Formats: sequence, C-alpha cells, structure tokens
Amino acid sequence: MAYILEVFLDESRLSKIKGTPVEEKIDAVFGGQLKLVRVEVGEEIKDGILKAFETARIDSRGCITDTPVAFKRALFEEIAKQKSLGEEVVKAVLDKIDEIKAAAAKESEHLPPPDIDTSDIE
Amino acid sequence: MAELYFKRPMPHGGRLVERVIKDKKAAKKIVDFCEKVGAVYDIKPTLHYKRGVPVRNVYREIMSVCYGFFSPVEGSMTSAELESVLTKRKLLNGWIFPYPILFDISKEDYEELKKKGIGSGDRLLLKLKGKPFAILDIEEIYEIDPAELADRTFGTPETNPEVVREKFDDKHPGWVIYRSHQPIILAGKYTIINEPIFKSPFDRFWVPPRKCREIFEEKGWRTAIAHQTRNVPHVGHEMLMKTAAYTGDVEPCHGILVNAIIGVKRRGDYPDEAILEAHDMVNKAGYISPERHMVTFTLWDMRYGNPLESLLHGIIRQNMGCTHHMFGRDHAAVGEYYDTYATQILWLKGIPSYGFDKPPTEIEGGLEIRPQNMKEFWYCPHCKEMAYSGCCNHIKEKQKLSGSLIRGLVAEGVQPPPIIMRPEVYKVIVKWWKKFGYPFVNEKYVEYKEKELEVDLPDLD
Repeated sequence: MAYILEVFLDESRLSKIKGTPVEEKIDAVFGGQLKLVRVEVGEEIKDGILKAFETARIDSRGCITDTPVAFKRALFEEIAKQKSLGEEVVKAVLDKIDEIKAAAAKESEHLPPPDIDTSDIE
Repeated sequence: MAELYFKRPMPHGGRLVERVIKDKKAAKKIVDFCEKVGAVYDIKPTLHYKRGVPVRNVYREIMSVCYGFFSPVEGSMTSAELESVLTKRKLLNGWIFPYPILFDISKEDYEELKKKGIGSGDRLLLKLKGKPFAILDIEEIYEIDPAELADRTFGTPETNPEVVREKFDDKHPGWVIYRSHQPIILAGKYTIINEPIFKSPFDRFWVPPRKCREIFEEKGWRTAIAHQTRNVPHVGHEMLMKTAAYTGDVEPCHGILVNAIIGVKRRGDYPDEAILEAHDMVNKAGYISPERHMVTFTLWDMRYGNPLESLLHGIIRQNMGCTHHMFGRDHAAVGEYYDTYATQILWLKGIPSYGFDKPPTEIEGGLEIRPQNMKEFWYCPHCKEMAYSGCCNHIKEKQKLSGSLIRGLVAEGVQPPPIIMRPEVYKVIVKWWKKFGYPFVNEKYVEYKEKELEVDLPDLD
C-alpha cells in the first residue's frame, strides 16, 4: 500500500520549484485555495517515519500526518534540491534524522506565530 | 399544533443537583469547624502514573457535580455505586451514568487523616490553591485497584466486542486518568462552600444548567441542539452544526448550544481558551447568527470514551435543557480503540455489553434528549461546496477534511484556506498562539493549566 506525504506550498515555496518538473505536479484542492504536492512512500519508509516521530499518524485519507514542522521543512527543501517527488527525497531526509529530531524537540516548546495583527480581538 | 411541539426535557434524574452554599457566614462556620478538628485536605492534581505530568484535577468534577452538570450524581461514588456503574452503567437509584466519579487520595494521605481521627461520618474541608473550596461528607472509605478500574471502565475487545476494537493502554488519555487514580476512595456528597471566580475568557462562557435553562426560556428556544466540542471549529464543524440543527419539531431547532469540554487534553489539541473564543467567533463573525448560537463549557478532564463519553454528553446537555444532541463519526474518540460509529450504534441500537440492550432513550432510567446522528462532511469540487456525505455522490472527487490536515497547516504557519477554516477563527488561534508561544497543547501548557486552573478562589473573610 502507498502512503502519502502532503507538502503544502505557499508563495515562497512555489517560487522555489518554479520551472522544475515538480511544478507540473502541483495539485490544488479545496476549490483551488490550497496548493500542494504529494510524495508517495511504501511500507518501509512509512514505518521509518512513524518510528522516528511519536506524534506521526496515518489519517483517514492514508496520509502520514502530524510529523514535526522540521521534518516537513526538510522534506520540501529536499524536493526543491532534487527536483523530484520520488521516494528518494524522503530517504535523504531520513538520513538526517538526528538533526531533524533535535530541531523537532525545540519545536515542541515553541513555534513562532505568524505575523498577523490580532489587536482587534485582544 | 401544540402536540407536535417538543418539550424541554426534565433534568436527568428528575431534578437539577445544586450543592453550592452561597451564605458566606454559614460557609465560614463550616471552615472554622473543619480547621479546628484538622479535617482539611488540599486537592492535588492526578499525575500520570508513569510520567508524572498532570492528567486531571478533581476540582473540575466537583464543580460539574455541584452545579448540576452531572445530575443526579451528588458526589464521590460509594463502592456499591461504583460497582453498579461498572457493571450496568447505572447509579444505585437506577439512572444511567457512564463513568466512575471518585475522590481518590494516596495511602499516605489517608494515614495522615486517620491520625487526626478522620473517617466515615466526618466532614472534610477541601482546599484548592490553599483556600477553602468545598466539603466532602464522608460516607464510606474503600480501596480500589486503579489498573482494574481503568480496564473495567472502558472494557476490552473480548468483553465489549460490539464496539471495542483494541485493548486500552497508556496511549489512551481516559484510561490513563483512571489508571493514575490514587487507591483510597473517600465516598460521599460534595458541597461547594466558596464559589470560584472564573478567569477570562472562561468567565464569559460559564453557564451552569439552571442558568442555561433560564436563558433558553428568555431566548424563546423551545428546541435546542447540543454540539460537543474539544476543538476549534473548521468549516466542516460549522456545516455539521448548521445541518444538524435543521432537525427540530415543526421547525428547525431554535438554538445551537456549543458546549466545550474544558480540562486537561492530549498533546496536539488546541488550548481551551482558543477553543471557546474560536467557537464564539463563529457567531461574532456572523457565520451563525448569535440569536441562534451560544457557546458554553463543562469542566471535565476528557476521558475520550466515544460511546461512554457520548452518554455523559447526553446527560450534561439534557441537564442544560437541550432537546437534541448531534453525534458525528469518532465522537469524543482518540486512536482506533473504538468502532468509528460506536456512539451512533449506542444511540440507534444500544450496546448490550455496556448494559444497553436498547438505545439509552428507550431504557428505564434513560435519557430524553434526542440523538441526531450525522455522517461526515467533505469538500466536493464538483458541487463546489462543503457537502454532506449522505447526499453528495461524487465519491471519487471528494476532498476529506481532517483535523490533522488543518493542524499541519497551522503548525507550518500556512493560513488554512477560508473554505476549510474561517479567517476570523484562524485569527483566534493566532491570538492564543502569541500568548502561549505554541498553537497546540504541549507539556508547557499542561503545566501552566494545572498551576493556574480556570478559576481563582476568593477570600472567605
């Protein structure tokens, strides 16, 4: 069975894959309002991710979710670097697992909030 | 026409439990007496039996009992009542109730009380944050095995094959709460003698059952449908509320009562403050008229018991005066312990192994609140709308909403598109994210919650 890792794309990420083969594989969901790319992985890689991250789970869509932001960030960087959505990009990320785990540990304490003005609802 | 109208249901058990002494002089006399004889106990949080982090504070249960949310329960259960709840999910007076409600203390604390001569028949002053809070009139003292209590509370795939799919373990927060109980139980009625003052934003949403029924009367809500939540609302939740509320009697339900469960939650849930204000934003921003939508909460460290939790939800919201309760898939669930539709099975057919050979609305001592069982919502690119899965037949094209999808977006700092989360609701998440430095419940937030709680205690003098 194939499992899916979804990588969401904002403007900054879109610019980094512009003109690459990955750009052609961008999907738009929810009425075109959310852009993403999908990486398919097999059982072995899926098990590796679940083992590496306690929070990771498979949702009702067969997607691997609740992985640390550090993992997702590294995954996108690898996609942009290799210009690919193949399983090899995940393997490359898992090769740096100790570094990602260290970043993830810090993330469980603090995540910088987005720069959105909330003064009107304070 | 009148015969077609639904009546507001009576409180579960026939009357609302209200065990709150408001006369400060009377309260002070009780405090003075208890302090004189040394019958004083400082409430301690329940700590995870392995990891030592807070998983419950019994003060929340005392509040929910004394203000009538759990009517007809009046206090910590006796051994006979506990046995009755575990075997039949009924109190000794015959009214259904799903969970053990217990005041548990350690053996060491019990030895201290014994040294002071405190035992059955005595009154114990319970302090919270060092201040008088409530009293417990001790009827019985007995010992439990917390591991056995946890297993019997939730069941097993062998004992409850209709709905339990996996053995409960320490990944299940509700099982952990019971497993982490202390072994000595002080049974007896609770009475609050010093009403806590809620902090902001909880103060705006504290509506105990009697008050709630009065508000329904003032608003002219003959019918009201309850929405259970432990989450900030995405558009799927909003559609669930709007669509489920089309039920009613001769017209759609007059009111939608959002009742959030406030207490210790699992990592990855949203902070309680964000949950309440985000739901409130649904009406403030006009997605559901405030004339028809009200946000409230119940204090309870959630047990995530799917069908059992739905029974407690039915009891709470019937006590608050609701005529209907919406139930979706995986109601109050975590992990794969239960069948996805376990709650709906209970309310449609009953679950004999839990003591319900018929739905809880059809058995003696059961509930009057009507279930509104709902399937899920998804985004359909063909219909170009958030569609009800029971109607939309574009199965292959559906785009499922999931809480984890939205959590993933939020964590990455990507604003969820308006079609799945209203921008005003997202703004509330960001507001509390700035305050706590994190958008979700983490260890730091759990520690903060236990230190602060939702309330302060006033001085009695």
